[in-house]
Amino acid sequence: MYAIETENLVKKYGGLTALDGVTLKIPEGDCFGLLGPNGAGKTTLIRILTTLIRPTSGMAKVAGFDVLKEKAGVRSAIGVVPQAMTSDLDLTGLEIMDIYARFYGMGKKERRERTDELLSMVGLRERAGDLIATYSGGMRRRLEIARGLVHRPSILILDEPTIGLDPQSRRVVWELLEKFRKGDNLTILLTTHYMEEAEYLSDHVAIIDYGRIVALDTVEGLKKAIPQKDTMELTVSNIDMAKAREAVSAHPSVGSVAVNEATLIISVDNGANAIPELVDKLRALNAKVTRVTLKEQTLEDVFIHFTGRPIREEEARKVSFLLGAGVPRQWGK
Amino acid sequence: MNRFKAILERDLRKFIRNPLVVAMSVLMPVIYLVILGNSFQGELKRLPVAVVDQDKGPGAEWVMERLSALEAGPRTVEVIRVSSQGFAMEALREGVFKGVVIIPPGFSRDLARGSLAEIGLFLDNAETIAAATVQSAIARAVSEPGMEFVSVREERAGARLRPIEIYGKIDYDQTLIPGVVIMAIFLGAMTTGAFNIVMDRFLGVEESYFLTPLTKSDIVVGLVASGLLITTIIAVVVLFFSSLISGIYLWRLLTIDGFLLMLAVIVLSTLGLQGLMFVIMGRLNHPRIVGILGGFMNVIFFFPSGAIYPTESFPAWLKAFAIVNPETYSVHALRALMFKGAGFGAVKGDMAFLAVFAVLAVIAGTAAFKREL
Repeated sequence: MYAIETENLVKKYGGLTALDGVTLKIPEGDCFGLLGPNGAGKTTLIRILTTLIRPTSGMAKVAGFDVLKEKAGVRSAIGVVPQAMTSDLDLTGLEIMDIYARFYGMGKKERRERTDELLSMVGLRERAGDLIATYSGGMRRRLEIARGLVHRPSILILDEPTIGLDPQSRRVVWELLEKFRKGDNLTILLTTHYMEEAEYLSDHVAIIDYGRIVALDTVEGLKKAIPQKDTMELTVSNIDMAKAREAVSAHPSVGSVAVNEATLIISVDNGANAIPELVDKLRALNAKVTRVTLKEQTLEDVFIHFTGRPIREEEARKVSFLLGAGVPRQWGK
Repeated sequence: MNRFKAILERDLRKFIRNPLVVAMSVLMPVIYLVILGNSFQGELKRLPVAVVDQDKGPGAEWVMERLSALEAGPRTVEVIRVSSQGFAMEALREGVFKGVVIIPPGFSRDLARGSLAEIGLFLDNAETIAAATVQSAIARAVSEPGMEFVSVREERAGARLRPIEIYGKIDYDQTLIPGVVIMAIFLGAMTTGAFNIVMDRFLGVEESYFLTPLTKSDIVVGLVASGLLITTIIAVVVLFFSSLISGIYLWRLLTIDGFLLMLAVIVLSTLGLQGLMFVIMGRLNHPRIVGILGGFMNVIFFFPSGAIYPTESFPAWLKAFAIVNPETYSVHALRALMFKGAGFGAVKGDMAFLAVFAVLAVIAGTAAFKREL
C-alpha cells in the first residue's frame, strides 16, 4: 500500500488551474521531496492531502483514506508542520503539546509520556514551561515538529519546514527529521525551496511546475537524466596550453574544454572519478597542476533543466483590493 | 468531549494571560455607567438661564422668587440676573445661556389687574432637549401667579396629580445598570469566542487546528463555552461593581432565587450573543473588520434595547427591530429582577425568547463557520 496516492488530481480557482492532473505514488517509509517554483501548486497539493481544501476532480488517498470521504481518518493518520509558525504565543510548549494530544483523544498518562519524550528529543524539555512567545524561530519550528508527531502519525507532512531559519537551526531540523524518520518508520512528504534540504532528506524528489509533475525520481536518478556535465577547472604550468587541452580532450568522460590563460575549463561526466586520471595525463607531459576545482552537478541544475528557471523563495500572497490582507479569501487576488 | 474541553482550556489560558484585557472588560462598562449616568442624568440640571427684569414691580419679584425656588429645589436652572436685554440675547446666541427670561415693563400691573400678564422666554432651540426642559420648568414656575386668582371653588373642583412611585426610590444611574451589564456581555462576546477564530486566522494559527481531528462543533462549542464562561464572570463582576458605585447593595436587594434568575438571564444573553458573533464573524480574517463591526453593532443593539429610552416611544420600524433584539429582553428581565423584585413568572417570556434566540444563534453560527480554508 502506498502512504500517499493521487490520481489525476485537479484544482481550479475560477479560470486558474493550480493543479493539473497530478498523479503520485509515495511508498510507505519514503521521504519524498516536492520542489517547485512560485505558484507551481505545491501548497495546493499539500492542502488537498491534509483535507484543508477540496480538489476540483481526481482522487487522493492518504494512509489509505480518501481525502474527501474519510477526512477524519486522514487527519488522525497525518502529522503536519505548516509553513507558517502556528503555535499560540500565549501558551507554553508543554500546554501546546498537551492540548494537541487531547485533540487526538490521547489519555492523560500517554500524553504526559509522549510529550516528555518528544520535548526531550527536540531539545525543549528545559524550556517546556516557558511561553512560546519567548522561543526563537528555530525553537518554535522544533516544537511544531514535535507537535506534529505527538499522536504518533504514520505520515509527516512538512510545508517548507526550514524557511526563515538560520543555517544552524536548519541543520538541527534536518537531523531531527532523520532521527524521527528512522525511529518511527515515518513516511515524510516535504516541500522545500532549499535544494540542499531536498538532497539531504529525500529518497525521491518530484519537481512540480504549473500544477504538473514534470520530473520524479531519486536525486541521483534526476541528476543522471540531464545532459549537463560537472565543471572541472585545472590550473597548470610548465606546459603549452594547446598541448594540455589536447591531452585532456582525449579522455572519454570529457566533453568540451576551454582555455582561460593558465586554466583549463573542462566539461566532464562524473568529474570526481576523472580528476586523478586527468592530472596523471598532464603530469606525464611534465606539467605542474597547481589547482583543481570541481563543481558537481546539483539539484539546482536539475531544477533549471526541467522548469527553465531558478527557484525563488517568496510565495505570492492573496491580498484583497478592498481591505488589504483582511476579510474573505475569495476576494483576494 | 475531551476535544472541546481542550479548546475551552486553551482559550481560558490565553485570556487569563492578557490581564489588561481582563481589566478592561470589567472597567469599561463600569466607566460607561459613570459617564452615561453623569452626562444624561435623567433630568437635566443647572441649565443657565438669564433673567432681565424690566418691570421691577412686585409681580416681577414674585417671578424671581419662583425661579430662585426652582434653582434651589430641583436645580433645573441656574438663574443669572442680567440688566441688559441686548447682552443677554447675545450671550444666548453664543451658548452661554440656554434661555433668557424677559419680564417686560407693566408685568406687575397686568398681573394685578387680572389681565393676561406675559413673560418673554427666548430659547436656544439648537439644543432641543435643554430648550424643552427650560421651557417646561419656567412654565411650571410662572403658572403659580395665575393660581392666586383662581377661586377656591374652582380649585376644589379641579384635578390634581399626585404621583406615587410603586417601587423604592431609583436614581437615574441605577436604572442604567441593566444596560451596563448587557454592554459588558456584548463586549465580552465581541472579544472572546468568535473573535479568537478571527485572531487565529489572522495569525495563521487556525490552519494547525484544522489539520487535527477537531470537528466543526468541537471548535464552535469550545469557543462559545470559553466565551460564555469568561463573559458571564465579567458580567457578574460588572453587575456587582456598577451596583455598588450607584449605591445598591445587591446582597440586601436580591434573594438567592432572584440572583440565580439574573444569572440565568446573563447566561442566556451571553450565549445568544456568542452565537450571533459566530454568524457575523465566523468567516472574517482581520481584527480591524471586527473593530468596525463591533462599534456599529454595539450601537445597533444597545440603544434600541430600552436600556436608556423606552422602546414604546420608538417609531414603528425601530420598534419592530427592538422586538427581535435580544438585548431588549435582557434589559427588561434584568430591570424587573433588580428593581421590581420580580420572580420567574414575570421574566419567563424574556427568558424563553433569549433561550430560543441562543439555540438558533449557536446553530446558525456553527452552520456558518467554515472548517476548511
